[in-house]
Amino acid sequence: MSEPLRDAQASRLAELLSQSALRNQSAFSELYSLTAPKLFGVALRILRRQDWAEEVLQECYMNIWNHAADYAVAKSAPLTWMTSIVRNRCLDWLRRPQQEATGDEYEIAVEAWQDENPGPVEQLMASGDAAALAHCLEEIEARQRQSIMLAFFHGMSHSEVASHMNQPLGTVKTWVRRGLERLKGCLEKGNNP
Amino acid sequence: MRYRNPQLGEKLAAEYVLGTLRGRARARFQALMRYDPALRSRVTDWEDKLTPLAHAATDIAPPARVWNALSQRIAGEARQPRWWQSLALWRGLAASGAAFALVLAIVIGVAPEAQPPMSMVAVMNDTQGQPAMTVSWPSMQAVRDPYIRIKVTQKHPTMAPGTEWELWMLPPGKDKPVSLGLITTDVDQVMKLTPELASRIEGAWGIAMSIEPKGGSPSGTPTGPVVMKGPCVKLL
Repeated sequence: MSEPLRDAQASRLAELLSQSALRNQSAFSELYSLTAPKLFGVALRILRRQDWAEEVLQECYMNIWNHAADYAVAKSAPLTWMTSIVRNRCLDWLRRPQQEATGDEYEIAVEAWQDENPGPVEQLMASGDAAALAHCLEEIEARQRQSIMLAFFHGMSHSEVASHMNQPLGTVKTWVRRGLERLKGCLEKGNNP
Repeated sequence: MRYRNPQLGEKLAAEYVLGTLRGRARARFQALMRYDPALRSRVTDWEDKLTPLAHAATDIAPPARVWNALSQRIAGEARQPRWWQSLALWRGLAASGAAFALVLAIVIGVAPEAQPPMSMVAVMNDTQGQPAMTVSWPSMQAVRDPYIRIKVTQKHPTMAPGTEWELWMLPPGKDKPVSLGLITTDVDQVMKLTPELASRIEGAWGIAMSIEPKGGSPSGTPTGPVVMKGPCVKLL
């Protein structure tokens, strides 16, 4: 998406949020149709269960409906604000002890869908969205990048990343920390050349 | 842990947003963040940096039943008269009925006879959904010197240095929040209002409190996180 188009979308979403704060149901319905496929994808990739993702999505949109007025004081883009609500709710959800993954029968076919699609970094590059982030991800060491992607994209904890990559926990923690530091350094250099 | 250490704060904010800060550490970090604007802005910063990554994949449309359930909940809420709508909101947020008991105490119990009865009240919930403070006021035509009464029902943790609580009323329509002034949250207090604020507060639909730098919001609108808010409900 080009930058002007992205800005136009952001200001449309901000307008719909402020209308939702005034209890405008049709604005909220438009907000939902513009954003739900993105946010459902986010929830599904982290939770990996269709039923949980649906429940979390519904809860988050009720939250957005009830707290849309708070967006006025947030300093982020509307979609960033909404995405953070969903990500945080998913991570809190995974913390509940009774919500341990219960087995393959509930796992949805996220893996199959992933294999058919280019990786997230490639998509980020191709979409032109946040090219700086894509560039900086390419810059950092592969193992650091992979740890960060597994954690952020799939909601894995340090120990899940460690077992997924078959590496000691301490090593993975270091990769994550260094990767984040590098990423920050690269992004901030890009912003202030 | 020494959360005031900026390097540690930065590392924790990054790992919080990345999602690798888990369990009790995560819960504790969330609690601290609510009262620490600097920490909060580190988190926002990382959210801005990393969120594009969350969308770097194919969108997946949720099944229609999600929207069907949502629209029913919202329509159900909108059909209720205002009083019940507010009551339903409280019921959800304060299952114990504590909020309702507070309102009854304000209506029936606490006003000595010499004082006019309170005509409006806002029960403010904290971000955990617990009633933390009530703000009430009499009919402004009935008093010579307009005031609001602030009653603290739940003590709050110590504030980060260099910050203050600011109280806001939320006017109807698209108007921005209007500052009522700086308050403390450890004691009940009475705050005098200017005639202009007094006339506007009677139309407010809600009261909110945000964390601001020393001396209050520099811009005249809330700049820090809103940590408490509640809808105004007419009592008389």
